[in-house]
Amino acid sequence: MAHVKVERRSMRPEEWTQLRFVWLQRGIYADREEITDITIRDARQVSESEYEYLDGGERKLQRGDLYFTPDGTAFIRAHAIVPERFRGRQVYLQLKTAAEMIVKINGKFAGGLDPNRERILLNPYIDRDELDIEIEAYNRSKPDDERNPAAIGKHGCRQIFEGMYFATVRDNVQSLVYDYTLLLDIAHSEYFNEDYRKFLNIELSRALDKVDFDTFEGVDEAAKYIQKTIYENTDFKGSGDVALVGHSHLDIAYYWRRIHAVQKNARTILIQLRLMDKYPEFRYTHTQAYTYETLEKYYPELFAELKEKVARGQFEPVGAMYVEPDCNVPAAESLIRQFLYGQHYFRRAFGKTIDNAWLPDVFGNSWIMPQILKKSKVDYFVSNKMSTWNDTNRFPHNNFIWKGIDGSEVYASVPPTHFISWNMPSQIQENWEAYQDKETGGQTLSMYGYGDGGSGVTEEMLELARRFEKVSVMPKIEMTGGADFLHKNLKDNDKLATWDGELYLEMHRGTFTTKSNLKKMNRRLEYKLREAEMLCAFAAAFGGADYPAEELRACWKKLMLNQFHDILPGSHIHPVYEDAMRDYTEINKKLDVILAANDGDVYFNSLPFDRDMLTFIPDEDGPITREGVKGFWSRPHLPGLTCGNVSPVQGKANWMHTEHGQDGKLLIETPFYRLALNQDGSFASLYDLTLGREWVRPGCGFNKLHIWADHPGMYDAWDILPNYQDVEISLPIQEAARVTYADDSSAEIMVDFATEKSAWRMVIRLFADSQGIEVEHVVDWQEKHRLAKVNFGPDVLTREMLCDTSAGFIRRPLTKNTSWEQARFEVCHHKWFDLSETGAGMAVINEGKYGVGVEKNKVSLSLLRSTIRPDITSDMGKHHIAYLILPHAGDAVQAGVNRLAFAYNVPLVKATLTLPDKWREALCESGLWLQSAKLSEDGTMLVLRLSEQDGKRACLRFPEPVKLLNMLEDIEGEADTLSVKPFEIMTVGIPLNEGGN
Amino acid sequence: MEQYIQQVLAPRVQGDGGWVEFVSLNENELTLLFRGECSKCPILNRCTAWIEQKIFEDQGQRVTVKAIRKKPFFWDNQ
Repeated sequence: MAHVKVERRSMRPEEWTQLRFVWLQRGIYADREEITDITIRDARQVSESEYEYLDGGERKLQRGDLYFTPDGTAFIRAHAIVPERFRGRQVYLQLKTAAEMIVKINGKFAGGLDPNRERILLNPYIDRDELDIEIEAYNRSKPDDERNPAAIGKHGCRQIFEGMYFATVRDNVQSLVYDYTLLLDIAHSEYFNEDYRKFLNIELSRALDKVDFDTFEGVDEAAKYIQKTIYENTDFKGSGDVALVGHSHLDIAYYWRRIHAVQKNARTILIQLRLMDKYPEFRYTHTQAYTYETLEKYYPELFAELKEKVARGQFEPVGAMYVEPDCNVPAAESLIRQFLYGQHYFRRAFGKTIDNAWLPDVFGNSWIMPQILKKSKVDYFVSNKMSTWNDTNRFPHNNFIWKGIDGSEVYASVPPTHFISWNMPSQIQENWEAYQDKETGGQTLSMYGYGDGGSGVTEEMLELARRFEKVSVMPKIEMTGGADFLHKNLKDNDKLATWDGELYLEMHRGTFTTKSNLKKMNRRLEYKLREAEMLCAFAAAFGGADYPAEELRACWKKLMLNQFHDILPGSHIHPVYEDAMRDYTEINKKLDVILAANDGDVYFNSLPFDRDMLTFIPDEDGPITREGVKGFWSRPHLPGLTCGNVSPVQGKANWMHTEHGQDGKLLIETPFYRLALNQDGSFASLYDLTLGREWVRPGCGFNKLHIWADHPGMYDAWDILPNYQDVEISLPIQEAARVTYADDSSAEIMVDFATEKSAWRMVIRLFADSQGIEVEHVVDWQEKHRLAKVNFGPDVLTREMLCDTSAGFIRRPLTKNTSWEQARFEVCHHKWFDLSETGAGMAVINEGKYGVGVEKNKVSLSLLRSTIRPDITSDMGKHHIAYLILPHAGDAVQAGVNRLAFAYNVPLVKATLTLPDKWREALCESGLWLQSAKLSEDGTMLVLRLSEQDGKRACLRFPEPVKLLNMLEDIEGEADTLSVKPFEIMTVGIPLNEGGN
Repeated sequence: MEQYIQQVLAPRVQGDGGWVEFVSLNENELTLLFRGECSKCPILNRCTAWIEQKIFEDQGQRVTVKAIRKKPFFWDNQ
């Protein structure tokens, strides 16, 4: 018998309830009167506080007019008299908009309007019958519009002005609307008990039977009915214990430029402050010292209000860091500075040291983080992405202990659901059900509030919260603060499980590579800042020179700002990239000026060990062109922390022999290798004459360039998919490998490739006096949806790869035995990776690359992508990418790969500087990396930061006692000898009026 | 006209995650290619009307914009 599907075509009872709920919403406004004396002036924001007014001046604005222009800010002014009939009542300003508006009434900040809120209470600002209304409105509204379908239709560069009104509200209707918003959400949610939902559907319909939708009589009776039959019903039980924390995530730049975040932030804060006035129980958390700094600078009036609310405990600074940075790519010192400048700001502004890191949206977290947190007086860590965005494995904990690379432990919360929610019962119940540490972790954390200009918490969210305890099926709810949640549930909780490893996000793997130039400049400036700061600090401490503290701090802050998690990772629109590159150029110029002040005829080796590795010295008369700069190769032979002259490396005659072999191979013999190069520059063979072994595994490709079709979809800039190698794109050779330069110390072999749009030159550099082989790629990249990688298949029997983290190395499996290993097919590293077996191995050292592909028999360095969302020009243009292939005896530690990688990345700068021998020897003999030398923020100490990078124990012996500091430069003790644990970062201070100076 | 589009109007559109490129100007028909967020914008016609108005104000030329949308593959079904 044929199956006949039974389908109901007439209205269901639930649909009847839903329809009447819409009618009820229409009854919220009791009375309205349009405000018609309105003018508008179009502008475009050009800096954090400046606007360029567009032609046309001020014009009248009427209902039905189009307003706003692309990337526009509009200044709207209105003058109105409160209607006689509204006087003595609660009067609102009502304006529906898809834009983001800050509203001032009679010169006072009254509130904000956006797709999530359409009215502002006027009464507190009515000091006379006449009202002057001033609105600053930014039209780029992407406040969670995917989550707010009503806003999508209105979204766009040009919007229709729907009018501005005085309005009064039927409070009882509004209250009943909140009841129905709450209860209908439960009735529609499969997270709740089915019997209760049936009960709700029946009773919600019955309650609405009492309402006359023409006059809105009967609303009070309906409310009473709900109170009695639903809220007072205890037949149904729920379970769970959920902490609700108000929060508004704010991307400093993303689909908007960082200059726009100043206004977005101010509006978000203004709205939260106004909610605190009305709802005394409301507490709100806000991150990023930078956002407070801009509020203080540009909106001092609001900042004063905020300080008051902070003092009262309603407004809670969280996060401790300067911004919410990417936590994969920035080096350890950058992350430390994020805390140093963040915490110092919070101390100055509010007298508070924040004990949590609050990073809900970052794309995974480096294993070096726990130590940095702990030593920055941060005991707690919060980050959401791993629980909600992993694409392969479910991260097994929500409340747990996170153990770092050095063994430091912090309490961690990875909340089970998204950091943007709108406090609906279904979202709260979903959070509880997804929570994996019910037996050990105490409460689960649910953040509520719109983000990214959606401006946080709404009145509706707080009205719902006031009703939660009346609903028997809801979990137990506590409205709390971020720190209170962490202290209550995690502190001294000995039941918590421990996660010992990085917090790898199984998504967004492309962000290690997207926008190559940003990563390269960030790396370069991290080290240039180190040089500038160190030279100035030593000159000040040991030579009495002035220290440019403000200039250096400004450079750090600009660099840190651009480490924001949608800037440095490359996930932003084109103008954000332009801003970042402009910022990098500005930092670079400022550092040149600072370095010039210490300039000399000799070079200063800032490495705490002998610099004898081949180093490229820029020189206009030099014979070599590297990365577009002329210069020469030198072996400086400079002891650590000393200065001296450098000269071109001494050559050897006839050090290289070449001949053409079979299949077009180029056969080269140097003092170190017999190298067979394929026409495309890949190595067919690399025979090591010193070690007597072959390095190339046949069939795997070695220094083999591949271009892959790269179609990750919507998250184009963010993601690389596991099947990226399905389609290879041909990169035809224009000119095969040939020797293009040779002198008595180095030689260059070039290969030229080209596609229809792009030109790609590979330059392979061999040296008479070094086993390192440098490869530079000079690229004019004009592709779309492509991923360029270079493969290395070394003939090394190993199941793991060592990856530099910038503060120690992490061992990553090369095996694919488990789903966890399979998911890590693209991982982050810093300056180097290494594959070694007992006795020998091979490292690849880079100067600005982060993504590494992991496969069975080979690894691949990710060079370039060409994504089109959010920026269709991403990575287009010229690139110089260099790396050093370094076969070595012993393992990576025995071979000193860390030192070589530092030397490859740290520029040798001119400066005449002499350190007292006793301090120089103490630093150089420790074997530790001198990560930073600076004057303390209070200017009283020379601060030295030293890190153990090789995973072994060390001892620091100073010539006299030094102050033991945490990373915030607080003095915690004094000693002259320090034992250092593997991967430990130490900070010490030498008082300026003592010691060697 | 191409330079005007590229230097004056394109940066504005880019600020909203959109992208506009000059294709051709035949008589008074100005063909523009819209990419990025513009490629799926439901109210692109309002923006093209603004472009026509701006060109008239700044260049003194009355044009009619013919918009070509180039959607990325992942929005092709929208």
